[in-house]
Amino acid sequence: MTMAENKFLKEAIKQGLRMQHRFLAEPVLARTGKGYMKSEGVATLQRIKASLKKSRSA
Amino acid sequence: MAGQVKNWLQIVPWETVVSVNATLCEARKALHKPTSDGYAPTKALWEKSRARKLSLPEVFQIGYECHRLAPFCNYNGNTFVAIIKTLLDDTLKGLSADKAHILRSIAGHIVAGTATDIERKQLDSILAALEK
Repeated sequence: MTMAENKFLKEAIKQGLRMQHRFLAEPVLARTGKGYMKSEGVATLQRIKASLKKSRSA
Repeated sequence: MAGQVKNWLQIVPWETVVSVNATLCEARKALHKPTSDGYAPTKALWEKSRARKLSLPEVFQIGYECHRLAPFCNYNGNTFVAIIKTLLDDTLKGLSADKAHILRSIAGHIVAGTATDIERKQLDSILAALEK
């Protein structure tokens, strides 16, 4: 595995662990054709937008 | 609008996909094991796609198809969503923070199989912004 591939692997694992609570262990999409991913809500986006608005007005 | 066309999956050998799934399963004490019917076709699709130049919508679609084929017993969704979202990291630097967040979110929903029609339309406008 190259250094870049190794770095990517670490980042992907970090990303996966961060959002693991939003998934079910079972292969739902394969069985039902309908996926499952728990919504993270709009709080993050609202925070980003508020921060952008603040920095634009400053 | 398709966004950047390149060898998106080049940096992700199949072993990486397996390692991501193994780690995610281990974290939740779930069984990490290949499925008898899904593993081989998913690996073949992934390896074939690695050699191709792809647009972002194609990358999302391949992530979705691999998820649907279910190569592993558990956490297929998280595995492919995490990989596709990580692939986007460099591309997102060219977008404003809110658009980057939305694109990551839509990409995740497409791969997870939960994207709405509105999100798919939104994807086109964000990719158009990326090309400017």
